[in-house]
Amino acid sequence: MSKFIKAASVMSLLGATATVAHAEEFTIGLSNGWVGSEWRTQMIAEAEEAAKAWADKGVTVTTKVQSANVDVPGQIAHVRNFISQGVDAIIINPNSPTAFDPVFAEAADAGILVIATDAEVSSPDAIYVGIDQKGWAEMSARWLAETLDGKGTVVAINGVAGHPANEMRVAGYQEVFGEFPGIEIVNEVNGNWDQAQGQQAMQNILATYPDIDGVWVQDGMAAGAWRAMQDAGRDDIYATGEIRKDFIDIWSENSLKSGASVNPPGVMASALNVAVNMLMGKELKEPATAGVYGNAMYLPIPFISDENLGEASAALEGQPGYTSYTSSLSIDDATALFD
Amino acid sequence: MTLPSLLRKMPPFMPVLIILICMFALNGLAEPNSLSPYALKGLISTYLALMFLSVGQTIVIFAADIDLSVGAILGLVNVTLVSMMQVLGGEPAGIFAAMAIALAVGAGCGLLNGILVVVLRLQAIVATFGTSVLFLGLALWIMPVAGTPAPRLFWRTFGGRIAGIPFAYFVLAGLLVLIVLLSRSRFVPRLLTVGDDQLAAYQTGLPVQSIRVRGYVACGIFAALAGFCITGDTASGDPNVGGLITLNSVAAAVLGGAALSGGVGTLFGSVLGSLVIGLVGSLVFFLGTPSEWQNLVQGLTVLAALMVGILFGGKARA
Repeated sequence: MSKFIKAASVMSLLGATATVAHAEEFTIGLSNGWVGSEWRTQMIAEAEEAAKAWADKGVTVTTKVQSANVDVPGQIAHVRNFISQGVDAIIINPNSPTAFDPVFAEAADAGILVIATDAEVSSPDAIYVGIDQKGWAEMSARWLAETLDGKGTVVAINGVAGHPANEMRVAGYQEVFGEFPGIEIVNEVNGNWDQAQGQQAMQNILATYPDIDGVWVQDGMAAGAWRAMQDAGRDDIYATGEIRKDFIDIWSENSLKSGASVNPPGVMASALNVAVNMLMGKELKEPATAGVYGNAMYLPIPFISDENLGEASAALEGQPGYTSYTSSLSIDDATALFD
Repeated sequence: MTLPSLLRKMPPFMPVLIILICMFALNGLAEPNSLSPYALKGLISTYLALMFLSVGQTIVIFAADIDLSVGAILGLVNVTLVSMMQVLGGEPAGIFAAMAIALAVGAGCGLLNGILVVVLRLQAIVATFGTSVLFLGLALWIMPVAGTPAPRLFWRTFGGRIAGIPFAYFVLAGLLVLIVLLSRSRFVPRLLTVGDDQLAAYQTGLPVQSIRVRGYVACGIFAALAGFCITGDTASGDPNVGGLITLNSVAAAVLGGAALSGGVGTLFGSVLGSLVIGLVGSLVFFLGTPSEWQNLVQGLTVLAALMVGILFGGKARA
């Protein structure tokens, strides 16, 4: 029986006039080990807002944030600081998929719930709540292949070689393009998730393969690649896009031939809403057992194409240009996942 | 006794020791639990790798050299150690053999740095930055994606206790013994002499080149020992694990009283400097700094600590 229900019944037994307000109080530590992009800032801001929203449900969720550019030991220190403080749960965007196994075990021994988001972790003491990076790539690769009617030559511009998320994404698009015998991948290059390198890579590709039909490119590099194509006056190529307002504006104004899978910065807020439900002692209807490490719970991946571009534009209306299109599990969405 | 003469008499690590005590006190005030036995053990085991790395860095800094590849060596040693332990099996014999191989890899990396900088006379900053890319490439070749787990025996020992005392404390004690032995050997004074004035050292008949090369080899060995610690604390291989740690090792050395121009400093000071860097990160958080300011405040605090150290250290040397 959950503590929540016990507390609620005790309060009603006492005939308290107050509702269940402040029946439950949780402290959740948020750890982010890299501050190099606005996406991460937005991720934390949305999670903090999600925590405040629990007040309407009579639950006090306090967040403690550690966010700085740190090395792996530095982020291990984040986790140990949270353990020292005695938080109820830790939500982490991890700098390494594997390096946190022992320290997550320490957290679990201290009775702390650990949830990773944005990047999967191997620890059996943690669960992952976020998108499936492979599915993310499959979705945009399928859009590209189908838009090209299943035939043509494509190139791929990838992130950092050896980075787990990049390897999953590469596997995703290779699998999808493999299903289309008419699609040929003529080259794959690394742009290290850097917009300028994406632009440079695209310039080289246009010079080497002037006849390509499609480009599969990830994240912010897409803005760079599109700039190179526009500079070269190439409006005949289909290419994947990205989710920041600046790019979505350019996309709308120039009717670019683009489509974009969304890795929403709201993933940490979703993870927080899942965490609060777990802290209340509820059980997931479907246990988190997906992914290579068997501990993942995948969130739905939105997709932006010409069909819903207007909606995406409207959602970002009035925001700064670096704001990413976002989505997250609301408290009710998250609660519906539990018994 | 006048203040200047007092300052002259104090050991070079005195400023950093005072900063460290202040850091402990401030952390304790902001979060009493940060001084609990669990937190102290956590602090030591988290920053053992940085301590070893900064001691290695200090050895080359003594001779007015620098090694920007220590983080990459640490990553290469980490993946070598984990891969070899997997090949040789997770029994004690296999683990020790893998550690010996990984140690040799670290020493080999140091030797390569030494040859490039000392024998081929490349600029230390550029040469070791170049080798850092090479070592990272090798690490990625050995282990393309992070993930192989270390044998349970290895990391359970590192994270566990012997006779009720955390294993990390034994490693720390081992490091301190190593420092005492090194400081009493001819090696450290010779490095300092070379760093103080290379020409004068050469004219007095010191084998300057060989001393500097051996400095780099020692640095590589310490980076390998740091790699052991990180493998113990992370229980897995990750070629990118040494990402940001290199500059922290330089900062810890300078905080500890070493001068980048060479000839000045103590190895013990760098150990204290590493702990200060660790505690600064915690303090910024425990004080409740808003997340968007944490990076800035952390940077400013390290800068302030450096300035305090250099101010007093400088007077002591004057």
